[in-house]
Amino acid sequence: MNAMNQQLAGYAPTPVTARMENHGRAMLKVAMQSGQDLFARTGSMVAYEGFVQYEPNPPAVRQMASQWLTGEGAPLMKCTGDGLLYLADYGADVVVINLNNDALSVNGTNLLAFDAHLQWGVERVKGMAKFAGQGLFNVQISGTGWVAITSRGTPIVVDCGRGEDETYVDPDALVAWSPNLKVKGKRSFKASSMIGRGSGEAYQMAFSGQGIVVVQPSEDSTDRLRARG
Amino acid sequence: MAREFQRGHKAKISDLTAGTDLYVGVSIAGPGLTFDISCFGLDANEQLSDDRYFVFYNQPKSPEESIQQLGAQAGDSESFRVTLDRIPAGIHRLSFTASVDGDGQMSQIGPGYIRIVAGGEEVVRYSFTGSEFSTERALMIGDFYLKDVWRFAAVGQGFDGGLAALLKNFGGEVAEEEAAPEQQVPAQATGAPGFAPPPQAAAPAPSFGAPAQAPAQAPAQAPAPAAAFAAPPQPAAHQPAAPQQQPVHSAPTMVGPLTTPPAAPYGQPPHPPQQPGPPSYGQVPGRQPGYGGQVPPPAPAPAPYGQQPAYGQQPPYGQQPSYGQQPPYGQAPGQAPGQVPGQQPAAGAGLAAALQPYKEAPTGARWTPQNQQLMRVDLSMGGQAVLARQGSMVLYQGKVDFSYKGAGFAGRIVGNATGQEMQLMRCTGRGQVFLAETGAHLHAIELQGDGICVSAENVLAFDESLQHEVRRIEGHGIPGGALFTMQFQGSGTVIVKTHGVPVVLPVTPTTFADSNAIVAWSSASQVIISSQVRLRRNAYPGHSGETVNLQFRGAPGNFIVVQPYEV
Repeated sequence: MNAMNQQLAGYAPTPVTARMENHGRAMLKVAMQSGQDLFARTGSMVAYEGFVQYEPNPPAVRQMASQWLTGEGAPLMKCTGDGLLYLADYGADVVVINLNNDALSVNGTNLLAFDAHLQWGVERVKGMAKFAGQGLFNVQISGTGWVAITSRGTPIVVDCGRGEDETYVDPDALVAWSPNLKVKGKRSFKASSMIGRGSGEAYQMAFSGQGIVVVQPSEDSTDRLRARG
Repeated sequence: MAREFQRGHKAKISDLTAGTDLYVGVSIAGPGLTFDISCFGLDANEQLSDDRYFVFYNQPKSPEESIQQLGAQAGDSESFRVTLDRIPAGIHRLSFTASVDGDGQMSQIGPGYIRIVAGGEEVVRYSFTGSEFSTERALMIGDFYLKDVWRFAAVGQGFDGGLAALLKNFGGEVAEEEAAPEQQVPAQATGAPGFAPPPQAAAPAPSFGAPAQAPAQAPAQAPAPAAAFAAPPQPAAHQPAAPQQQPVHSAPTMVGPLTTPPAAPYGQPPHPPQQPGPPSYGQVPGRQPGYGGQVPPPAPAPAPYGQQPAYGQQPPYGQQPSYGQQPPYGQAPGQAPGQVPGQQPAAGAGLAAALQPYKEAPTGARWTPQNQQLMRVDLSMGGQAVLARQGSMVLYQGKVDFSYKGAGFAGRIVGNATGQEMQLMRCTGRGQVFLAETGAHLHAIELQGDGICVSAENVLAFDESLQHEVRRIEGHGIPGGALFTMQFQGSGTVIVKTHGVPVVLPVTPTTFADSNAIVAWSSASQVIISSQVRLRRNAYPGHSGETVNLQFRGAPGNFIVVQPYEV
């Protein structure tokens, strides 16, 4: 082994121990097998090994996510085959979750991949009429299987059910939440033109009930996988 | 109930415990390293004006015995007994320090802590690890200090030189500069007048490396809550903390697999999805049993795809220990230290397990860093308002009011002059506010009467109690014509954001920084524009080549903070 290989050797993939794993903090490694299909964000594939096929506009997604579709086609592709698949979203942190009969709502921008056998559905984020034109959708996933989400920076998980007060989140920083939480939009007049970003509109999402909210340390909600031409 | 302190946390001792007879334990260890753990009794100017209050291996107690060194016991590498009400009035601060004896640096240490035990019960603990440090050879771990009442602060500040440099920092004298650190202190011990009656009378101290603990233990007064036991200075528990910042480490990892069981190169994960029945994923009936099910036939298993060998069986990969098997500090060099906490739990099933590493850090202080990029302020504590940059709130809980920080604030001046308005919001009420901005690293700087200048762009939030004013540094070639800084003074916390991991440099006669990369400096240092000094080559075609550098002048003890990013 020559010197260059020696230095790069530390970056070789580690043996597969699970369906989904982190490779570093920003890359997801999925062990693909026939019969265990995967939905991944279109454009998130950075490498693969083996025989993996991609279906960019799967009928299932066209049906389930019809409102999420844009002129560019479906935001999810179906991956099938055997091999190792590497996914990434422009350096965002990847968090791998092994759902064990759990449910999670993920902001569409922050979804990277999930097992195709999971139950899932797309909905417009409730109370977020303001963002209707921007395509802020969330994907609700439940069942038992693997999900990978992305976060710009190390995320934080906050427990909502601690006090009687609601938990307010900047929609641009929202990554995921428990679907059983009550969500409503909140316009804080007092804070008008203060909180939030861009339009100067103070707008937060208020969560109440028992559950968790995952937030990223960045108000950057740009969908990079979609933004590229 | 022990409280966990983070770096920078402070509390009144009386809030921690009613007792004044305290046991202070320090644990610090690293593979192959020996440490000298000392306590400096400093005066109001933080100087060691009386050498008799330098409590170390060679002088295990202060004259009136209010500070005594007890040696290693109860799992601590070193322990002290501090009787607060017997400390003479001239002593205002006790600084507990550790320095490497011989070769080595602080990045090599494993998990360590300082703790205070009162009445047999641990009341506070501040933990640190080597990943917080780099090449420092000494560490100021924690301080007891007198501000109206005795308080404790988790300091966790590295120090480049060894024990000798520490001594010098505190105004002690080191007789022989050129001597190796090991010889410096003994030399000083003989030279300094205050050391006349060292209890050990070991003036030449031929080699103190090995017996460092022994002499201290001999006169142990044993008032400590736990019986002394002969624990080695480096408990075995700390051993897995391999040096993590040495790039060399990657090579042995490859060549000699330490932990991988060779029989099952894959499918034998350290944290497999251990559900006994069906594997935790791949519930699709009639399908292959999934990875967990493939464990038994390790080597000759049919290649799962194509003709290629199975994933784990490819020799170069298979020899590598998997993530989970590596000690957390010995990660592959591709991973920055102190990150990817999600990997091991991710293999466990369930949403809660996967998100556990990202859980909100427990309350305990007004400002709590949640991770490198998120800061939480608990407005209920301290009861004063926080001024934060607009748009930096990512989440809040409780009843918090946000209001515009009205005109007249100097930030408007900054904004108007630079064309980039810096608007602040005032957060008041009761609840927790989480602050972050575009994933920048956040640092909480707590001021206690001292001053700091922060480049206006790098201010994220600060306590309203701080006095702040905008200063303008004019210079040719600075974008916008001038560099705006905010000077903070008083008592409170400033949250500074940096792109990337910053460097903190002491101010020397030749300290320069790029005006675009400077983040902050202690306000006692003086700034001089020096355009002539070209430290950078032309950054890009068309660039004039004239970069504006700031030169700093100041007394020793001043510092500057620079980020690896030129805004």
